[in-house]
Amino acid sequence: MIELRGVSKVYRVGPVKVTALADVSFAVEKGEFTVLAGPSGSGKTTLLRLLYRDEVPTEGEIRVAGFDVTGLRRSRIPQLRRAVGVVFQDAKLLPGRSVYDNIAFVLRVLGTPRRDITPRVMQTLKAVGLSARAQALPAQLSQGEQQRAALARALVKEPALLLADEPTGNLDEAMAEEILYLLSEIWSRGTTILLATHRATLADQLKRRTLVLDGGRLLKDEE
Amino acid sequence: MLAFLIGEAFRNLRRGGRVAASAVLLITLSLAALGAFWVLSLNIGSAVEQWRDRLRVVVYLREEPPAGEVEGLLKKIEGVGGIQRLRYVSKAEALQTLRRQLGGKVSEVEQLPTNPLPPSVEVTPAPEASTPEGTRALIQRLSALAEVEEVQGGTAWVEWLAQLQGLLQLIGLALGGVLALAAILTATTATTLVLHARREEMEIMRLVGASEMVIRLPLFLQGLAQGLVGAGLAVGALYGAYRLALPTLEPLLSFTLGLSRAAFFSPIEVALLLGGGGLLGALGGLAAKGERPA
Repeated sequence: MIELRGVSKVYRVGPVKVTALADVSFAVEKGEFTVLAGPSGSGKTTLLRLLYRDEVPTEGEIRVAGFDVTGLRRSRIPQLRRAVGVVFQDAKLLPGRSVYDNIAFVLRVLGTPRRDITPRVMQTLKAVGLSARAQALPAQLSQGEQQRAALARALVKEPALLLADEPTGNLDEAMAEEILYLLSEIWSRGTTILLATHRATLADQLKRRTLVLDGGRLLKDEE
Repeated sequence: MLAFLIGEAFRNLRRGGRVAASAVLLITLSLAALGAFWVLSLNIGSAVEQWRDRLRVVVYLREEPPAGEVEGLLKKIEGVGGIQRLRYVSKAEALQTLRRQLGGKVSEVEQLPTNPLPPSVEVTPAPEASTPEGTRALIQRLSALAEVEEVQGGTAWVEWLAQLQGLLQLIGLALGGVLALAAILTATTATTLVLHARREEMEIMRLVGASEMVIRLPLFLQGLAQGLVGAGLAVGALYGAYRLALPTLEPLLSFTLGLSRAAFFSPIEVALLLGGGGLLGALGGLAAKGERPA
């Protein structure tokens, strides 16, 4: 599902070069639940952004869900992103739209037939336990609920791969556990998951394969 | 999908608020200015055509030809070229016309010992000879004939009218052009503001895999809608002004230019104005700059 070979990413800030990732190589098979752990600034977010082609690597090759991401033409980026769901630490819900509309918005922009939208949105909301909050505005939700709505938005297009960038970063322990439980549920239904977190305890708690990044280098790859 | 895109375009228009309204107003002003000069130019153009059609050159003959030679003389005159049709006016016919024109004063004509009026030939120049140069050349050719005493006629004032029409078209285009540019810039600003207000939505759209077409099309439709509304208002305002001015305008046009009625745009010309408005707005929508993906 994911394959990186010798991937580096260097940002230029004026005359200064900042290495965000250095010679990173690993592979994630279809159906795996993998944790990408490391302290803040270790390169986790950069790595995820390379995977959904929000950034281009300075060196190396990347393949995601059958797409050669490195050589992907701009016109084909939408096709890659339809195969990949992304959630962030900040839920990034559209404030003026209800939970239902935030999720339906994805299906509408992707051209889903109108008759299919409501059943798919409601089914996804049910899967994340938000059916009862469908008409609520994001501001009326707790942070945990907002993160669940963001998960629903990422999942409603049924992606093969889910990239989660610190989805529990803003949540207390109980809410974070809820989200982790939800991610496990999603994974058990066949979605490949790559979860980035700075919380070492969380990686231990999940007991999944863990890739440890530090200073842009892959230090450990352990089951 | 189309319903969604149109819905988004109208949502954008609402978000555009005052700037979107300014864009509509500027498009209205530019097309109203352009349209006003256009409709004026259309009417002057009709007058020019009408007067060109009525243009006559009168060839006065030295002496009246015998009845059997009139046909031959007319053929000789026609032979100089640049003539559409011609008609012989005998001395007697000229006198009859004068009597008709004098009406009650006809007795003064009766007192004349002989008919003093010369025989003549009324010449209608061919369309290609209806220009000032063409008419001048025709008059020269006709004057060179031995049977001709004098040639009268000219197109100077008709050409002055044609020049005025050209000038009005130029002023209309220049003024309309400047206002159109301002309208495009305002429509661009309105769309850019909407892009700024919608950046979160667009970020989400790109993140979930919406194509650039789906992202940009509502902006294009927003511009198009602004343009069409502006053009519709301009056509409405022009038509209102035309109906209002008609009672005063028609006698004036009839007296000065000889036009029986003041014309407004044909349906095709209205469609052209509406299309022009739509194009202005759509260009503004397309020119708006937003964040692009990596």
